[in-house]
Amino acid sequence: MKTYNVFEEQDWISKIQVNHPAVLRRAEQIQARRPVKKEWQAAWLLKAVTFIDLTTLSGDDTSSNIQRLCYKAKYPIREDLLKALNMHDKGITTAAVCVYPARVCDAVKALKAVGCNIPVASVATGFPAGQTHLKTRLEEIRLAVEDGATEIDIVINRTLVLTGQWEALYGEIRQFRKACGEAHLKTILATGELGSLTNVYKASMIAMMAGSDFIKTSTGKETVNATFPVAIVMLRAIRDFFWKTGNKIGFKPAGGIRSAKDSLAWLSLVKEELGDEWLKPELFRIGASTLLSDIERQIYHHVTGRYAAYHDLPMS
Amino acid sequence: MRTGVIGLILPSTFSFLEMMWRICPALAVGCTVVALVPPASPTPLLLAQLAGELGPFPGIVNVISGPASLGPVLASQPGVQKVAFCGALEEGRALRRALAGEGAELGLVLGAEALLLLSDAADVDSAVEGVVDAAWSDRSPGGLRLLVQESVWEEAMRRLQARMERLRSGRGLDGAVDMGARGTAARELAQRYVREAQSQGAQVFQAGDVPLDSPFYPPTLVSDLPPASPCAQAEVPWPVVVASPFRTAKEALALANGTPRGGSASVWSERLGQALELGYGLRAGTVWINSHGLRDPAVPTGGCKESGSSWHGGPDGLYEYLRPSGTPTRLSYLSKDLNYDTFGLAVPSTLPAGPETGPTPAPPYGLFVGGRFQAPGARSSRPIQDAVGNLHGYVAEGGAKDIRGAVEAAHQAASGWAGQSPAARTALLWALAAALERRESALASRLERQGVELKAAKAEVELSVRRLRAWGAQAQAQGQTLQVAGLRGPVLRLREPLGVLAIVCPDERPLLAFVSLLAPALAHGNTVVMVPSGACPLLALEVCQDMATLFPAGLVNVVTGDRDHLTRCLALHQDVQALWYFGSAQGSQFVEWASAGNLKPVWVSRGLPRAWEQEAEGAGPELGLRAARTKALWLPMGD
Repeated sequence: MKTYNVFEEQDWISKIQVNHPAVLRRAEQIQARRPVKKEWQAAWLLKAVTFIDLTTLSGDDTSSNIQRLCYKAKYPIREDLLKALNMHDKGITTAAVCVYPARVCDAVKALKAVGCNIPVASVATGFPAGQTHLKTRLEEIRLAVEDGATEIDIVINRTLVLTGQWEALYGEIRQFRKACGEAHLKTILATGELGSLTNVYKASMIAMMAGSDFIKTSTGKETVNATFPVAIVMLRAIRDFFWKTGNKIGFKPAGGIRSAKDSLAWLSLVKEELGDEWLKPELFRIGASTLLSDIERQIYHHVTGRYAAYHDLPMS
Repeated sequence: MRTGVIGLILPSTFSFLEMMWRICPALAVGCTVVALVPPASPTPLLLAQLAGELGPFPGIVNVISGPASLGPVLASQPGVQKVAFCGALEEGRALRRALAGEGAELGLVLGAEALLLLSDAADVDSAVEGVVDAAWSDRSPGGLRLLVQESVWEEAMRRLQARMERLRSGRGLDGAVDMGARGTAARELAQRYVREAQSQGAQVFQAGDVPLDSPFYPPTLVSDLPPASPCAQAEVPWPVVVASPFRTAKEALALANGTPRGGSASVWSERLGQALELGYGLRAGTVWINSHGLRDPAVPTGGCKESGSSWHGGPDGLYEYLRPSGTPTRLSYLSKDLNYDTFGLAVPSTLPAGPETGPTPAPPYGLFVGGRFQAPGARSSRPIQDAVGNLHGYVAEGGAKDIRGAVEAAHQAASGWAGQSPAARTALLWALAAALERRESALASRLERQGVELKAAKAEVELSVRRLRAWGAQAQAQGQTLQVAGLRGPVLRLREPLGVLAIVCPDERPLLAFVSLLAPALAHGNTVVMVPSGACPLLALEVCQDMATLFPAGLVNVVTGDRDHLTRCLALHQDVQALWYFGSAQGSQFVEWASAGNLKPVWVSRGLPRAWEQEAEGAGPELGLRAARTKALWLPMGD
């Protein structure tokens, strides 16, 4: 991964301008303008399933609900529904499973038991607030990687963004990158707490320059999580980074995506702003937990023509 | 009060919204509408069906489906008080010429081109979205001229081209497409334009491959078009965007204002000061800051220069369909034997006055141009007679060259005067009022010589002074914030000066009419070229003596001479922004016909007298409305 001298780039970064009302207007347009119906909708929904990082991040997680989650990750849609769509042999699973560092061992064991090789992603660095000492944050990453997590979701230090310390932010993320080693790094920007869209753009750029594989909108625990305006700004940053360096960085919205219709809008957004190359699990993920059940219900409706009750479909 | 019967002429491609935006305000203030629509469109027939269902009020909306040549026929029907036309420039011009002398007032909204100004302090991605809204969507009225600051040219072009790849053309009613088709005529126009641009050396980029025989025209970006080429001067058709670079904000304004069109524009810059400077400096009817294409019924939409001076929406839109209470119905005063080519061309020679009796008369007055009295180009003067037939004085015989000099002097003073604060304007007008008061006895005695009783003369002078003071005080009211639903942020309705206003005063009331017309024009920031009363211009020239010491040079220019000849020069002048004519019926007809040259707004008396001493006619709000033009400035907020 090429390194960047942040001091050189500082000048270009400080000139960035993002106009909030204009971005809001574009966000409204995207949601209204690209609807997908019928069998194409079912196809897009199945594709959306393959992008989900099935997540459970609660205080009351134990090995039993982790086991259930991992099983659901391997068999996200009921077998007979997939058979009806003739997609049962395409290996449709979610993209990954996302848990707290203490539960990584349980997740790895459960996935091995099911016979699934999807990655386990762990959140780290003082998730969700990130207000712990740098030493403990780095240690968390190392321990999670040792336990078997192959993807790490880190949170950036919002204090540094709000006080404009871009070089320090770059330094921290580079340290996290080193601590991850071979693991794949996702940088959570916590956009709801960054203050302005211009800050979101700048933080995205710094995160990409410091070596992240993915940039992620939010932890899911803030008051405002993944919204379209913030996503548009981040996608534009990814595209600009690609034009400048040739490296493709992935995007992950997380938090607040609950309905299947929403997920389709997110897919359209990525397709419009970045193109079809970004519509693969290596470059696009959706962090969600209840989304999967809504997608399953939509597919149930498409196959049978009836609306399912929650108990008709297996819990995750 | 309401105007009466409105005739509405619609062009061959128009949107439903445009039609309703004209019909609804007319109905709302109580007018009735006759709409002439092209035969191929079904939407107005739906309107006619709905109108037919208005049981208790038959006849308030009438729809005639016919060719455009019926336009003048509709306008010349007795009883039609106003004709509203929106469409192409040349058709508008032809209509203006055809309707000179008819009873109906003409309101024009012409052309559909917009302008987008992208500075280096802009959010380029959002500005690119603005370009899509402006030119490559079904909501865009026409093509777009794009001005990009040179330092962001490469970036902007790259992002534009990437964005164009994502636009989808398809059937208009499919919700997931961005652009539909607008018919073969529009497609051919665009094709012709692009071919000509290419032959003149431009680079053309079109997104996607569209087969030659499909009805859809792909979104097109034209760059490197030399500014002097004919394509750069012509109106840009839909869906073409013509991009040109600029170096500084000053150059941007010069390029943007350097076309005869002045419809709508948007400015993209995150620096507040720069955005407002450009917004105020653009000569357009609507300016959006960091957005494009926002519309609201409460905000006036219109244009200036050759985009026509008619408005819809907001208070200005309602004023289109209203006229001052007590104004009589407009009747046709057409004189069929008026020869436009020879009207006012030659100055009839005046016989020299008889042998001079009495004390030596004063030397002839010159023309008051550029702040001082100058000799006229023709080096001749004409005698002015008083009420009993004796010689009252000599005034200069102004001609075409003098008009040209006067208009130039007025333009030189225009930017300085428009930039003055309202308080400064008030101070100058009040100073003039005080000077006139001091000159009261001289003015009253001159009026007496013209046959006015002493008491009436004194009253006239006093009224003139009062009017100057009143209009001076009104110089304060310049702009207002409008309430717009659905937008966060203010929308300002600015009242800006027209520029150089030419006024031809009536023969009667030489002092009162002169001052009543001068004061509102100056109070609203215009500079004026005036042709005073032909019967007695001496009163106006007395006032000029005070203006020479008080006013900046070129602010007021007074040219005496043969009224018809001077009117001809002013009406045909392409750089006069508006013309007020209070003379004969034939002169009025000529003024209306000649205004088609640069489509300047005109106000003519049609030969009818006006009661200048009454408040309603001499100092009413109509004068204030006509002395300035509106600009809507949209300022969406948010960070």
